[in-house]
Amino acid sequence: MSSSLLVAQGVQKTYVMGRVQLRVLRGCDLRVAPGEFVAIMGKSGSGKSTLLHILGALDVPQAGQVLFHDEPVFAPPGRRRFATSALDVLYGYERRRIRYRRFAFGFVFQFYHLLPELNVLENVLLARMVGASTFVWSRQRARARADTLAVLGHMGLAERLRHRPAELSGGERQRVAIARALVHKPQILFADEPTGNLDAAAGAELMSLIKGLHAEGQTIVMVTHDPTVAGQADRILRLEEGQLRQV
Amino acid sequence: MYKLFLTLRYLRKRRIAYFAIAAVLLCTAMVLIVMSVMGGFLDQLKFKARGLLGDIIVDNKSYSGFPLYEEFIADIAQWPEIQIATPVLYSFGLLRFQDTAQTHTVRVVGVRLEEVYEVNAFKHGLYYEKYYPGTTTLAEQQQPVIGVDLNAEPIELKDNKGEVIGRGARPLLPPPYEAALQKSWAAGVRDDETPPTEWTEICRDANIPIIVGEHEVDPLHPPALTGDPWPGLIIGRDIIAKRLADGTYKRYSMYPRGCIVTLTMIPTTGGGSVDTPIKQPFRYADDSRTGIYEIDSQHVYCDFALLQKLLHMDQAERVDPESGAVVGTVPARCSQIQIKIHESVGGRPVNVKAVAQRLQEHYLSYATNPRFKLSIGDTQLVEYVEAMTWEESQSHIIAPVEKERQLVTILFAIISLVAAVLVLCILYMIVLQKTRDIGIIKAIGGSSGGVALIFISYGAAVGIVGSTLGTVLGYYFVRYINPFQDWLTRVNPAWQVWDRSVYSFDEIPHTVRGHDMIAVIVAAIAASTLGSLLAAWRAGAMQPVEALRHE
Repeated sequence: MSSSLLVAQGVQKTYVMGRVQLRVLRGCDLRVAPGEFVAIMGKSGSGKSTLLHILGALDVPQAGQVLFHDEPVFAPPGRRRFATSALDVLYGYERRRIRYRRFAFGFVFQFYHLLPELNVLENVLLARMVGASTFVWSRQRARARADTLAVLGHMGLAERLRHRPAELSGGERQRVAIARALVHKPQILFADEPTGNLDAAAGAELMSLIKGLHAEGQTIVMVTHDPTVAGQADRILRLEEGQLRQV
Repeated sequence: MYKLFLTLRYLRKRRIAYFAIAAVLLCTAMVLIVMSVMGGFLDQLKFKARGLLGDIIVDNKSYSGFPLYEEFIADIAQWPEIQIATPVLYSFGLLRFQDTAQTHTVRVVGVRLEEVYEVNAFKHGLYYEKYYPGTTTLAEQQQPVIGVDLNAEPIELKDNKGEVIGRGARPLLPPPYEAALQKSWAAGVRDDETPPTEWTEICRDANIPIIVGEHEVDPLHPPALTGDPWPGLIIGRDIIAKRLADGTYKRYSMYPRGCIVTLTMIPTTGGGSVDTPIKQPFRYADDSRTGIYEIDSQHVYCDFALLQKLLHMDQAERVDPESGAVVGTVPARCSQIQIKIHESVGGRPVNVKAVAQRLQEHYLSYATNPRFKLSIGDTQLVEYVEAMTWEESQSHIIAPVEKERQLVTILFAIISLVAAVLVLCILYMIVLQKTRDIGIIKAIGGSSGGVALIFISYGAAVGIVGSTLGTVLGYYFVRYINPFQDWLTRVNPAWQVWDRSVYSFDEIPHTVRGHDMIAVIVAAIAASTLGSLLAAWRAGAMQPVEALRHE
């Protein structure tokens, strides 16, 4: 047993583009302790987002493993030919990753990634809905709605519940995205360049929000290329030539 | 839960889905209309055939007919299943209206009117019998002429506002006809089959019973029955009147009730050889409408015994051609026996087919029965006799229509697969457009199966909405298909899509059956759901990261 919440061991990822093989991650190791705020920096195209996606169970590495609470997130490498192969489903790893994404992980993306047909409230509520069957939802609906309203209130979006993403500013959209990531009370919040698409003022405002979350005990793994943003973290790692180095 | 939520949201917000719904709607309506019209056509065919023929038909399909029908009818009258049986004669002739050059080739049907009234629905299609009950007869008759009641008070003629515009003598029909008209008038029977004429308007303005139909009028004398007595003839309505676009029949004053018509026919001998043509005057007693155009535009009906005599099919002496001595009798012949059977006997339903089989066996036994002493020719006529249910007798018409209905339904169902392909294309397009959304759903915990199910539900929802609306459209279109066609014809006569001379019936059949509706709805939902499978598979198989990176 280790005290780490999330552990990455020798994670490798190669993209094949025609005849070119691009080895993005060449054996990344990482440990994240509960309540820690880790920032990963690197140049554009260095593989920061790829690493974050693998850590967050959105992508599958060709080699290496990620452990969450000492539980492997991916199938053993020999059974990992396809990202979500039948074997993967059979051995339950895909199911496990879905469970993590539903209940344990929260994601904030650079481009917000909100559903345009849904309003603010629905976008956030959807994250609670995904994990519930119709029967369970009928019992949890009121509570989920109350939790959603609370998180949105915390994000300062109480007045914007019925607005659609297209009617919000960039900063507001990113706050909706954070609310969606937090509504199911994740153990780890993954943030991929959360301020990358915001102006300086909105970026600063958002970072103070993230800092506040960290202060409340939220474990955060953030990817950024901005040293000022990375400077808010407890620990900064740099991704260079496919490997993580302590700064 | 999120699957249902997103399905409904996409259905409402993605307007492109309306095209898929419209495609399913139109295909559903199209198939339902085809099934209803073809099914209705078949039902109508069966219904009319039964109404015209009775339950069982005994026939040998020979123009020369067959003998021993009276003995057969007397025998089977004892059977508990038999309600009534009547012989019928069929021949061909040339019909000519007196004082006109108009002639028609017709099929002449010899019937015993009172018996036919009981065997089938013939009576319900008679025009004058409806308004002058009891006056239609095939016996010899004179022409009824409308006269005036010279002793009665003059009647006042009023305009639309009820103001008197003139006075005149009261028109009257001869006694039996007048009494019959008063009787039907009192019973509330009104003519809704004939458009108003100047004559009916005068009757209405004078507040006297409308003298229905066309009659000779003599305004200076009392009503009378005039002219030489001639046998009565019932004429197919499409021969004597013209059907208008609204379904009513326009009648002509040149063909008043009781006018003389002449039939020219060619009799045949029992051996089948042709005899000298005969010519017989009749009086137009009534006109009949069965609803089958081919019958109503070709058939005329006269008295069975008279036609039998004219065609030399009545009983005659058999003469030895060499010695000239009478050596026996040639039995009378008929063309067909129509039989009506009881629905049940002793509380048990009657098996029509089994009764038909027994009837045939009974008739065929006559061929070897020594009490009849049949000639070789007559024996052959007997041996060819068949007893068929009304359905079997019309199988040459019903079976092809049944096959045609199945074929057309299958063809239109195949055409309707276009809707499934359209659903596939549209949903596939939506999946491509929504690639990033799919990535988002998966990033927050949506499973591949769950995402696939969103699009399968989407396809099913398109099917449910489209097929429901299509069924409503199809139902109302079929329900009002005849007024719609009449309206089209009024706008432009060239747009008449239902040609009565081609399709037998004078109205487009419009039976919408419940099980047809359910079958069409289920098939449309299934096709639409099937159409969504490829898109659903594509959506489910997407990797979250790849979907999120989609530009």
